[in-house]
Amino acid sequence: MTGASLRIAIAEDSAILRDGLVQLLVDRGFTVTGAVGDPAALRSSVAQNPPDVAVIDIRMPPTFTDEGLRLALELRSRHEGLGILLFSQYIETRYAADLLAEDAAGIGYLLKDRVADVSDFVEALERVAVGGTALDPEVVTQLLGATRRTDSLSVLTPREREVLSLMAEGRSNAAIANALVVSEGAVEKHVANIFAKLDLPVSEKDHRRVLAVLRFLES
Amino acid sequence: MSPEQPEDSSVRVRIRGRELSFAMTEQQVARAKELARHALHEPFTKRVWSELAFFLLGSALAGVGLAFVSFTMVSGLVLAVTFFGLAVLALSLRSARGIGGFERRLARGMLGETVEDPQPFAGRPGFLGWLQSSLRDRVAWRAVGYLALKVPWSILGVLVAVSLWWDAFACLLHPLFGRNGGGLPVWGLARAFFPAGDFNFGPVGFLQNVGIFIFGAIFLFAAPWVMRGFVNVDRLLIRGLLGPDPMATRVRSLEQARTQTVDASAATLRRIERDLHDGTQAQLVALAMRLGMAKEKLEVDPEHVDLERVRELVDAAHRGAKEAITELRDIARGIHPPALDIGLEGALATLAARSAVPTELSVDLSTRPTPAIEAIAYFCVAELLANVAQHALASRASVSCAQQGTWLRLVVRDDGTGGAQLTTVGSSSSGLAGLTDRVHAVDGQLHIVSPPGGPTVVTVDLPLGS
Repeated sequence: MTGASLRIAIAEDSAILRDGLVQLLVDRGFTVTGAVGDPAALRSSVAQNPPDVAVIDIRMPPTFTDEGLRLALELRSRHEGLGILLFSQYIETRYAADLLAEDAAGIGYLLKDRVADVSDFVEALERVAVGGTALDPEVVTQLLGATRRTDSLSVLTPREREVLSLMAEGRSNAAIANALVVSEGAVEKHVANIFAKLDLPVSEKDHRRVLAVLRFLES
Repeated sequence: MSPEQPEDSSVRVRIRGRELSFAMTEQQVARAKELARHALHEPFTKRVWSELAFFLLGSALAGVGLAFVSFTMVSGLVLAVTFFGLAVLALSLRSARGIGGFERRLARGMLGETVEDPQPFAGRPGFLGWLQSSLRDRVAWRAVGYLALKVPWSILGVLVAVSLWWDAFACLLHPLFGRNGGGLPVWGLARAFFPAGDFNFGPVGFLQNVGIFIFGAIFLFAAPWVMRGFVNVDRLLIRGLLGPDPMATRVRSLEQARTQTVDASAATLRRIERDLHDGTQAQLVALAMRLGMAKEKLEVDPEHVDLERVRELVDAAHRGAKEAITELRDIARGIHPPALDIGLEGALATLAARSAVPTELSVDLSTRPTPAIEAIAYFCVAELLANVAQHALASRASVSCAQQGTWLRLVVRDDGTGGAQLTTVGSSSSGLAGLTDRVHAVDGQLHIVSPPGGPTVVTVDLPLGS
C-alpha cells in the first residue's frame, strides 16, 4: 500500500470529524503529521513538519466562511509540490474555479461525505499526493449543468459523456476503465474521440487534461 | 411685589382693622423673591424680543403664504376641470409645504423649538406620479391647515399682544412727547379705554402724566407674558402640524419592526444552519466514515477479520448515531417547540420543570393566544430562565403569565445578583437584545428592572390579538 509512505496534515474544526479522519488515516498506514482546528495552527504545523498532502476544511474559524480556501491558496504558493485536498460539506463551483485558476496538479476538492467510501477517499488522497487531481463528482455535475457548451456536448455519445465526467474528476485511464468495467484500450479510444469532437489540445498528463476539460466547460 | 418681613418671615395684611398674618417659610420667601426678580427682568431678556420678532415675522409670512396658497388653490379648483388646474393645485400644495418648512425653520432659529423635519417629499416617477404624490402629500395638507389656523391667531395676537407692547411705549413716552397734544396714538385693546386713540383730552396735568406713565409700566411688564402665551399656542400648532406626520411615523416604525423581524429570522436560519453543519452533519459524516471502515474490514479478508477492531468501530458509530439524534431533537425544538402543541401553559410548565433554578409557575389565561404570540412567549421564558441559570446566581425564580385585557403579561423574577442590562452590542439576535427585537416585532414591550444586588424582574407585554 502506497499509504505507508504518505504524510498527511489535517485542518478541520469539528473535533468529531478530525478524530475520525486521524483514525481512518492511521488505520490505513498514513502518517499524520498534524491534526489541528484552525488555519494558523495548520500554517505552523506545515512549516515545522512538511506533509505531502494537507487536508483542509473550507469553513473554519474565525469567520466560518472560506478560510480554508484562502489558506490553501496561500500554502500552495509558499510550499511547492504540497498537495491540497479541500474538504467541504457543500460544493461551491466558484471555489473550484478559484482553486484551479492556475493549475490542477496536486489539487483535490471533495465533499466530506466521500470519507464514507474509504477506499475511494484514500485513492483520491493518493492521487493528489502524486500531483494528480481529485474533483468531487458533484463539482463535475455542477459544471456540466452550468456550462453553455451544451451544443458541443450533445455530439458526445452517452458513454463518452461518462468518460468525460470521470476524466474531469481527475481519474486516470486505468481508473476510468476500472470504474466503467471496460478495458483500458476502450477508454483510450473514447478519450481520443472526445478530444477530437470537442477540439481540445491532447495532453498526456491527467491533471492537464482535467484543466483542458474544465476550461472547455467554463468557457 | 409682596411685602416681606425677613425677621419673622411672615406677611401681615391689614383688612378692616384686623391684622392677618401669613406665616411663610424661608423657601416660600425665596421663591417669591425669585418670582419678583424674574417678572422685573423679563422685559429685558433676549428671549422676549426674539419671541416678539418671531411672532411678527412668522405672522407676516403666514399671511402672505395663506393669501398665496388660497389664491392658487381656488384658481386650481376653478380650473380643475382641465388638467392644468390639477397641476396648479399641486404647485399650490408644494409651496404650502415649502412655507411650512420655512415657518418650522423660523421657529427653530428664533425660539429654539426643535421640531423634527417631516418626511421629505417623495414624488413617484413621471409627471402623473408627481401630480398624484403632490396632491396626496399629507405634509403639505397639514401645512395648509397650519396656515389656516395661524393667520386668525396672528391677527388676534397682533391686536392683543403686539399692541400691548406698542401701548406700553406710547404711555411711557407720553410725558415726554404728549405735552402739547403730539402724543403717540394707542391702539389695540387700549382703544377700549381711550376711544379717541390718544391721550389728548384737553390740557394734561402732571398727575395725569404720572398716571399714564404708571399704565405704561404695567403694560411693559405684562406684555412679555401675554406675548409668550400667544407664541406658546403657536409652538403647539407647529409641533402638531409641521412636524412628522404621525401616520408616517407609525409606518416607519412598522417598517423598522419588519426589518428587525426579517433580520431576526435570517439570523435564526443562519444559527440553525450552523447547528446542523457543525453538529449533526459532522456527526453523520463521522458515523458514515466509521461504518465505511468497519465494512471494509469485513470485506477485505473475510477469513481473518479483526473482530475486536470492527466492534470498536461499530460501537463508536452507534454512539455517534445516538448523539446525532439528540442533537437533531434539540435543533428541532429550537425551531418550533413541540411542547407548544399542547398549549402555552403546558409548554411553560415543561420549561419551569427543566430549569436549573427552582422555578414557580403561575398561568392565568382565559383565551388562547395566537401561535406566533405563544412561540414568542415561550422563547422569552426559555431565554430568560436560561439567563437566570447562567448569570444571576439565583436560588429561586418565578414565572407568571397572565391575561390583562387584550394583553398577555409575562413576568420572570429571580432573587439573584441583578445587574442585567439590555445591551445592543454585538449580534442583535443574541440574548436580551434578540428577545427585544422579537417582542417589538409584534408591537410588544420588554422592561427590565435589575438593580445591582438584585432582584431582577423582566416584564414582557405581548398583544393577544396579533
